[in-house]
Amino acid sequence: MAVNETLRVLRTLHYDAAHYSLFLQAGTIGASARPGHFAMLQAGDGLRPYLRRAFSIADVTTVAGVPAIEFVVKTVGVGTGALGRLPEGTPVPVLGPLGVPFPTDDLKPGDRVALVAGGIGLAPLVLLARTLAARGLAADLYYGGRNENDVLKRADFERFLGPHRCRYATDDGSLGRRGRVTDILAHALEGGTSYRRVFACGPLPMFRTLAALVEKAGLDASFAMESEMACGFGVCLGCVAPTADGRFATICKEGPCVPPSFIDWKKV
Amino acid sequence: MAVDLTVQMGRLRLKNPIATASGTFGYGLEFADYLDLSALGAISVKGLSRRPCHGNPPPRICETDAGMLNAIGLQNVGVDAFLAEKLPELHAKGATVIANVWGDAEEDYVAVVERIGADRRIAAIELNVSCPNVVKGGMIFGNNPQALSALVKKVRAATAHVLVVKLSPNVTDIVAVAQAAVDAGADALSLINTLVGLAIDLETRTPKIGFTTGGLSGPAIRPVALRMVWEVRKALPKIPIFGMGGIETVENVVEFLVAGANAVQIGTANFRDPSLAGRLVGELSAWCAERKVARASDLVGTLRTRPREDHRFA
Repeated sequence: MAVNETLRVLRTLHYDAAHYSLFLQAGTIGASARPGHFAMLQAGDGLRPYLRRAFSIADVTTVAGVPAIEFVVKTVGVGTGALGRLPEGTPVPVLGPLGVPFPTDDLKPGDRVALVAGGIGLAPLVLLARTLAARGLAADLYYGGRNENDVLKRADFERFLGPHRCRYATDDGSLGRRGRVTDILAHALEGGTSYRRVFACGPLPMFRTLAALVEKAGLDASFAMESEMACGFGVCLGCVAPTADGRFATICKEGPCVPPSFIDWKKV
Repeated sequence: MAVDLTVQMGRLRLKNPIATASGTFGYGLEFADYLDLSALGAISVKGLSRRPCHGNPPPRICETDAGMLNAIGLQNVGVDAFLAEKLPELHAKGATVIANVWGDAEEDYVAVVERIGADRRIAAIELNVSCPNVVKGGMIFGNNPQALSALVKKVRAATAHVLVVKLSPNVTDIVAVAQAAVDAGADALSLINTLVGLAIDLETRTPKIGFTTGGLSGPAIRPVALRMVWEVRKALPKIPIFGMGGIETVENVVEFLVAGANAVQIGTANFRDPSLAGRLVGELSAWCAERKVARASDLVGTLRTRPREDHRFA
């Protein structure tokens, strides 16, 4: 069950001018968060930015021994900018955990899965990597960005999954292979690698390519979708995406984690 | 001191003047984790149509300064699914339910109202004649006193329920449309719906909303809403009014009561804080107690204005 609570800023870790991790007190939300869940965060006095912002719960961790939830944020506008400037100790209204998480309950020991991230789409995959590792499941990471700076939290992924299981691709070749993340996954699939499930989060072009890729390979998949939303719990109806069965589904309530066959990719 | 928060709006009696606005509160049940639905004055549910409606293609919303634009396009489950799947639970939770109703044409409104029939689990019907985000119906009725009058008369003849008409602010003369609704048989008025607005993505020079324009809501519209409530209250001293538009705090609630609203509806603020409406009930009681106001209804229409000549500089 989601709760509406106020959590204090424990720490803000800036990676570069455009990316940071925001650590809040874990609260009730941290105790019940599962990989793929998200939360709505309010920054400021409520006039600008007016609405809360939706962020994947990136990790449930600790900061100096204090239970914390982590959000990995890319600064793109007034909301993400304001959240990144909140001083330590600032109370932040948070609603969560929200949405449909990644399906992981049916995975069994010996199953091998893939995690595919594009840019800031790493966010929901950190807690997933931690959770899968804790269950002893083998997971390969495919992570792409425009350049090395776009590829965040490598140390965490490599710690959870093992460095040999983490593969990178960048547009400029500054990290890993030059090219797209879907290229390195396609290469692995062509080489005979198969997965029980592909978990992914990233920008729309990555999702489009990946949807075609997993369909062709006959792989089960779950995509954590992103959308602008006003409420996060199914009432504003602002975050909808066109579905394969010809309607508009709320990303916040029916998602954010959906199988790619759920979405009508031609209409997105 | 014990403050009396009850509200009598013609035949409609509310526990308190804090209601929630259609389109911002789902079917009520989505908020059950965040507040006590039975503690609210009333809940106006998402606008119901004759058949389920898919709404507009995205993008449907964008944030603006102190507010947001939306063009959802009245996506809803339809009146039949509401009555069968939502209303029983809403009623069981003790909510006072207002059924918000819309249609493309007069006969669609009448069909929804007839489907509701004499269902006593619904306290009132609220006609949406003011949605700016559909091609047919909606605001087309609310912008034209003659069309509005004809619609309200047909709906009035089809229902014995308390009939509330929710007006559009996108008019030159709000009093003319208010008068037309009342003359045609409306028991009460809700004002205001959203103001038509436009937001632009400069990189692509395209509208940020897929429908091109959207309805502006949030604190940005509160002064307009207060002015319209006040104008209608002056012209129609007896008509019960739900006031709404950018209410965020207990002070905002009292502003609307003072301007002439008998009750208020909390709208877009429900998105930001789903617990807010429940909290405002207690805060209104405390606000009145601190000022020795025995009944919240004593505040209604108490705005003291001076003749405008007094404002001239000597």
